[in-house]
Amino acid sequence: MRLTSETMEEVLDAVASGAQAIDLRSVTSIDVHALLLLDLVVRRAREEGRPLRVAWPASAVRSWMTAMGFFADVKAESVPRSADRPAGARQDLASTSPSSLVVNPIAAIGREDDVSRLVGAFDERLSDRFPLDESPRRRFLRILLELFQNIPQHANATGDVDPHGLAALHDDGDRVELAVADKGIGLARSLALRGDGSADRLSDADALRAVVFDGVSRFRDPGRGHELERIFRLVRSWEGTVLVRSGTALLYQSDLGGDVVGVAPFPGVQIALSIPRSVFGIGEPAPLAPDPARGGLDEAVAPDADSGFNEGDETYDV
Amino acid sequence: MKEMKRTTFEISQFGRRLGTRLEGEAARRALLDALDRLPPDGQLALSLDGLDVLSGSFADEAIGKVCQLLSSGVHGDRTVVVYSPSRDLVEDLDDKLAQRKLAMLCRVGKGRAAWRVLGRLAPPLVETLELLNQLGYATTKELADRLGIPANACHNRVRRLAQLRLVREERLDAAAPSAQYRFHAIVA
Repeated sequence: MRLTSETMEEVLDAVASGAQAIDLRSVTSIDVHALLLLDLVVRRAREEGRPLRVAWPASAVRSWMTAMGFFADVKAESVPRSADRPAGARQDLASTSPSSLVVNPIAAIGREDDVSRLVGAFDERLSDRFPLDESPRRRFLRILLELFQNIPQHANATGDVDPHGLAALHDDGDRVELAVADKGIGLARSLALRGDGSADRLSDADALRAVVFDGVSRFRDPGRGHELERIFRLVRSWEGTVLVRSGTALLYQSDLGGDVVGVAPFPGVQIALSIPRSVFGIGEPAPLAPDPARGGLDEAVAPDADSGFNEGDETYDV
Repeated sequence: MKEMKRTTFEISQFGRRLGTRLEGEAARRALLDALDRLPPDGQLALSLDGLDVLSGSFADEAIGKVCQLLSSGVHGDRTVVVYSPSRDLVEDLDDKLAQRKLAMLCRVGKGRAAWRVLGRLAPPLVETLELLNQLGYATTKELADRLGIPANACHNRVRRLAQLRLVREERLDAAAPSAQYRFHAIVA
């Protein structure tokens, strides 16, 4: 079972329906967007005083999660040692370094005056990894700058939430995957702050369309907005994909098009970009060690025996 | 082109990677200070040399808003032009100016590279601007004759260009009952 943008929606559905525990033991891979959402789900449940109980995936997947900084960020308790190699794991897993696929582990996005430094760190890690062509590299950095600053600029515009902005970058072998996520006020509440009545009661889906397709912003200044629209255009021109989730709406767009669909409620805005590595002038994928957290290793990843769950727990099995 | 005092403003003084609105606000304050120090018909040459990245948010906050103020007339006849070492550096600025329905002149690359318009400018205005930039200066009638359009239509074009601070307007005979204007290119 892979925990992807799509299957993560099932987890969110279950949590929204009252599940108190999530069983991830059969998860054999996690994408970076799902990882950030999982982080925010765990964190939010704890803030609401009903902490989720999670049975974590097998150690090979946990190793990747650890390398991505997941456990450090959520400060999860009772996480089995990530170095444990599951019984039955193939020998090649032993020599795998999951961190080889982590371009930038989970980073917190807080204040606006820290955004440029953070983008610099992402740039450094990306450039260390790939000999990037200058022009796409600059364009990608501009995307980072816009997405990262959206969090201090918009995610807590009402001043009453802790958005807990996160970003991470992962190398999928032939694609670079960026995820930026928060659990702030979301697009609909943000647009309602315009104060001109034009966006006071937009549904999440309409707010998402307004922001992405029409370039609407909570500010009436004509220089504001259109950032996501521009990012969509650019990523599509790269034959990449973009996913934006806000509230109960999700927009997934590839070069083939896309539209908004309804999803389980979750606060904030979560964005995922997947960009072919070739965009950055990298012809053949660099030789990489097999990734225990990605596909193709299902048989090698065995769940840990002890879930820690009790009889009668309302459990969601992934 | 009419002689004017030109001052270079290095935007890289704010860093190599310019991204946030917050950073843009600080740069805008410095830009406006530099504009205020110019003589009434002076020009600020905004150099992007040494920059790695210029985001749309920074560009709008620092440059787009200054451009908006210029077109509103609060800085008189002062003008701002952009010098960029590469085309991709000004992509977001281009978009942001278009969003504001504004335009600026930009020279990309070193030496005598052609000036190009960033932002949004209707094709007839671009045509008029390019002609005036070739000529250096001209009256409305001279421009209308060369463009093959009525003088009134041409006057509307150059007045809009003057409002956007892409050309400079000079009244020839203030005492005459019907005003005569000459328009000057702001770039050579």
